[in-house]
Amino acid sequence: MATAAHHAPVTDKTELPVERSDIGLVRPDRTTGLLDWLTTVDHKKIGILYGAFAMFFFLLGGVEALAIRTQLAKPNNDFISAPMYNQMFTMHGTTMIFLGVMPLSAAFFNFLVPLQIGARDVAFPRLNAFSLWTFVFGAFALNVSWVFEFGHLQGWFDNYEWYSKLVYKDFAPANGWFSYAPLSGTFGQADAALHAQRFTGVGTDFWIIGIQILGVASLAASFNFIVTIFNMRAPGMTMMRLPVFTWMTLVTAFLIILAFPAITVALIELMFDRQFGANFFNPTNGGQPILWQHLFWIFGHPEVYILVLPAMGIVSEILPTFSRKALFGYPIIVFSGAVIGFLGFAVWSHHMFTTGLGPVPTAAFSLLTMAIAVPTGVKIFNWVGTIWGGQVRFTPPMVLSLGFIWMFMCGGFSGIMHSSAPADSQQQDTYFVVAHFHYVLLGGVLLGLMAGLYFWFPKIFGRMPNATIAYIASAMVIFGFNLAFGPMHYLGLTGMPRRTHTYQTGFGWEQWNFVATIGAYILGLGVFLAFANLVWTAWRGKRAETDPWDGRTLEWSLPSPVPAYNFAQTPVIATRDAWFEHKHGAARIGALSDGGPEGVHMPSQSWMPLLAAVGFLMIGLGLPMMSMGIPHLGWLVIAGLGVLFLGIWLWAIEGPGGYHLKTPSAKSVTPTPTASAHA
Amino acid sequence: MSDSAAAPTSTGIDHKKLIMWLFLASDCMFFGTLISTHLLYRKLYPTGFTDAEGHVRFVQNLFDIELTSFSTFILLMSSFLMALAVSAMHKGQIASFRRNVLGVILFGLIFLGCQVYEFTHFYHKGLTIQNSVFGSTFYVLTGTHGTHVAIGVLWLVLLYFYSFTGKLRGHIGALDVEIAGLYWHFVDIVWIIIFTVVYLVEYLGPNGIWGSAVATITP
Repeated sequence: MATAAHHAPVTDKTELPVERSDIGLVRPDRTTGLLDWLTTVDHKKIGILYGAFAMFFFLLGGVEALAIRTQLAKPNNDFISAPMYNQMFTMHGTTMIFLGVMPLSAAFFNFLVPLQIGARDVAFPRLNAFSLWTFVFGAFALNVSWVFEFGHLQGWFDNYEWYSKLVYKDFAPANGWFSYAPLSGTFGQADAALHAQRFTGVGTDFWIIGIQILGVASLAASFNFIVTIFNMRAPGMTMMRLPVFTWMTLVTAFLIILAFPAITVALIELMFDRQFGANFFNPTNGGQPILWQHLFWIFGHPEVYILVLPAMGIVSEILPTFSRKALFGYPIIVFSGAVIGFLGFAVWSHHMFTTGLGPVPTAAFSLLTMAIAVPTGVKIFNWVGTIWGGQVRFTPPMVLSLGFIWMFMCGGFSGIMHSSAPADSQQQDTYFVVAHFHYVLLGGVLLGLMAGLYFWFPKIFGRMPNATIAYIASAMVIFGFNLAFGPMHYLGLTGMPRRTHTYQTGFGWEQWNFVATIGAYILGLGVFLAFANLVWTAWRGKRAETDPWDGRTLEWSLPSPVPAYNFAQTPVIATRDAWFEHKHGAARIGALSDGGPEGVHMPSQSWMPLLAAVGFLMIGLGLPMMSMGIPHLGWLVIAGLGVLFLGIWLWAIEGPGGYHLKTPSAKSVTPTPTASAHA
Repeated sequence: MSDSAAAPTSTGIDHKKLIMWLFLASDCMFFGTLISTHLLYRKLYPTGFTDAEGHVRFVQNLFDIELTSFSTFILLMSSFLMALAVSAMHKGQIASFRRNVLGVILFGLIFLGCQVYEFTHFYHKGLTIQNSVFGSTFYVLTGTHGTHVAIGVLWLVLLYFYSFTGKLRGHIGALDVEIAGLYWHFVDIVWIIIFTVVYLVEYLGPNGIWGSAVATITP
C-alpha cells in the first residue's frame, strides 16, 4: 500500500522510480509493446486481447467446420478419415462455444461494462488479467492435442514404449462437445496401476482438463463482473438505468457462476474415472452413464443462454441507436432476460427426452421448455417495437442486428418444435437438431457479435471499418448461412443422422448436402472477409469521430480510443440513455471533479496473474501427457500446482500498487455534446 | 488488498466481501452437485460396500460414528474460534487475533488428521475408490471437502505470518480476516450437511441401527 503514496500526477508511469513489491520484485510499468500486453490490467486492453484470441479461434473452428462440410459434400467421400472426422466435429463444437463465442462475449464485457456504468476499471483488475491468461492457456492446452495427433499421423512416436501401449490413438478429443459417458468414460475393473479400460484415447483427457481450465477463467471473470456492475456504478446510475448490454452481462455472469460448478464436478468425476479407476460412470461397477447427461446438461442448457444473452444485449443497444428511439419496453426486456436466466436452469432434460425419463418429467420439461419461448418472444416484440416508427439507418451493425432477429427467430421456432417430446424423439440426433442450434448460435449469436464488433470498433480503435466490405460480408454471411443450414432441416427430417462420417447414395441426401457445403464455403468466406476488414481497420482504417453513430450510452461520450483512465471526471447520471439525452436535450450528465490536480489513481501492472495462469498451463499439458503414459509427467502437474500457488501468493503480497495519472484540464473533460454530423 | 476496496461502493458492500459471497454461492452449487451424486447412488444401491473378505456390508458397519462426531465437533469449535479471531481483528487486538487463529489452524489440522485416519481405516476395511460406486462418491465428496479445509488452513497460516509484517491492520486487515472467516464458516456449514446426509442418515430406516435388517446382514 505504501507504493500508492501521493506523488505528483504523471503522464506515464515510467517517469516515476521503479515500483517494487515487499520482497523486492520489480513491477512492470511499460504501457506500450509486448511487456505491456503481457502485464496489462487495463480492462480495455484485456478486452482487445480477448477479442483477438476469440477471432483467431473462430477462424480455426471455421476451418474445422469446412473440413466437415467438405467430407459430406458427396456420398461415400473419403476426404478425411472417420477418426479424423470425429475429432473435427468435436473440436469444432468445443472451439466455437468455449474459445470463440464465450471469449468474444467476454471481450465485450471487458471493454464495455466499465465504460457503460461510468467506472474507471473493473473491481479486480489483476483478476481480470488472470481470467484472460487462464482462458488463453486453457485454449492452448486443448489445441495442443492437434500437435500430438499430427505427430501420430507422421509417425513421430513410433519408437516410444508409451505409444505402443496405447489402445486408442485418437489424440484430439473425439467424443462430441458434450462427451457423453460411457464413450468418454471407462469400463471393466481397474488394473494394478488403477486404470480402467477406456473407450477413447487421450484426446478426452485433453478435453477434460481444457474445459476445466476454461471454466476457471469464466468463473473468475464472472465474479469480477458481478462485483463491478453492483459496486462500481457512477452516481445516479441505478440498476434500472443500466444499459441493457450491462444488464445482460450481469445475468450471464450469474448463469456462469451457478452453472459451471455442475460441469466442474462432472469433469472431476470423469477425470477420477479415467485416471484413478473410480466408478462414477463406469457401468461395470454400477456407475450410471446417464448421470453424466444430467450433470452435463444442468450446465449445458444454461450455457446456451450464456452464449445468447450477451448477443441479445448487443442488439438491444444497436437497434435503438439506429432507430433513433429509446428501447421499447426497457423494464420488460431486462425482466425477460432475467426470466430466461432462471428458466434456463429448469429445462436441461429436454436434451434427454429419448433417454426414457418417464411421462411426468418429460411432460414437465416439455412445458417449461415451451414457457421459455415466452420471455424470448417478448424480447423480439420489443425489438420490433423499437424499430417501429423510428428513423432507421441501415448501417452495417444495424443490418447484422436485423439479421440476428430474423435468424434467431427461425432457430427459436424449430426450438419450440423440439420442446414437444414426441416430435423431439423423431428429431433427436438428426441434422434437424444441427440446423436448429446453428440457427440459434450462428444466425443468432454470431450475427449479434459481428454487429457488436462493427458497432463498437470505432470506439475501440478510433477507426471506422469500411462499410462497403461490411455490407458484402454481411450479405455473404446471411446468404451462405441460410444456404448451409436451411437444407439441414430437410435432411434431418428425412432421417440423416448427426455426426455421421459419410452416407450412402439413394437416400435423397446428395443434392442438399452439396448445397449445404457450398453455403458453408460462402459463409466461411463471408466471416473471413468481415474479420479481415476489422483487422485491417485496426491499423489502417479511416479515423472515426468520437460519436459516429449518435450513440446513447456513456462510452460514446469519451474520446476514441478511450484514454487509460476512461473518465477524467466521474460522471453523474440523471436518466437512462443519459448521453443521448445530454446531447439533444437538457444536460443530464454532471461530473464529480475527482480527477482534478491530483490526477486519477491507476492500478499497477503485474506479472502475477500471468504466472498463476502458467501454472494452469503446466497442469493442462502435464495431465493428458501423464495419461498417455509418458514417464515422469506427473511431476509437471505437481510443479504446475506449485507455480499456481506461487503466482497467487506473490499476487497477494505485492498488493494492487498504483500511481496517479495526469488528466486533461478540467475545462476540456466535462462531457459536452460534440458537433457530430448526425446531431 | 485493492485500493478501490476502501473506496465507497454503490451497494456499500466492500468489493472483496461481495466477491467472496459470490464465490460461496458458486461453491454451494459445486457441493450440491457432489452431494447429489452421492445421495443418488445411495438410493440406487442401498446395500453399501464390499469388504476386504468379499462380504457385502452395510455402510454403518464401516463408519466409526464416534470418531466422525468428534471431528465434526472440533470443526464446529474451530468456527467459534474463527468468529473470535474476526472480532478481535475488528477491535484491532492483534495478539488475540493470533491466538484465536492459531486455534483455528490447530483444530483444522485435527479435523484433517481424523480424515486421513478415517480414509486409511476404511481402505484397510476394504473400501476403495475402485471397487464400488459408494467408494468413489464417498472419497471424492469428503476428499473435496477436506481439500477445502486444507486450503483454508493454508490461507490462515499465511494470514498468521502476514500479521507479523505489521501490514495486517485497519479496515483492510479486518476485512481480509473477515473474508477468510466467511470461507471457513462456509466450509464448516458444508461439513454439517455432509455429516448429516452422508453419515447420520445411514443409521435411520429399516437398515439402520434401530432397524431389523442389521443383524441379518452382518456376517
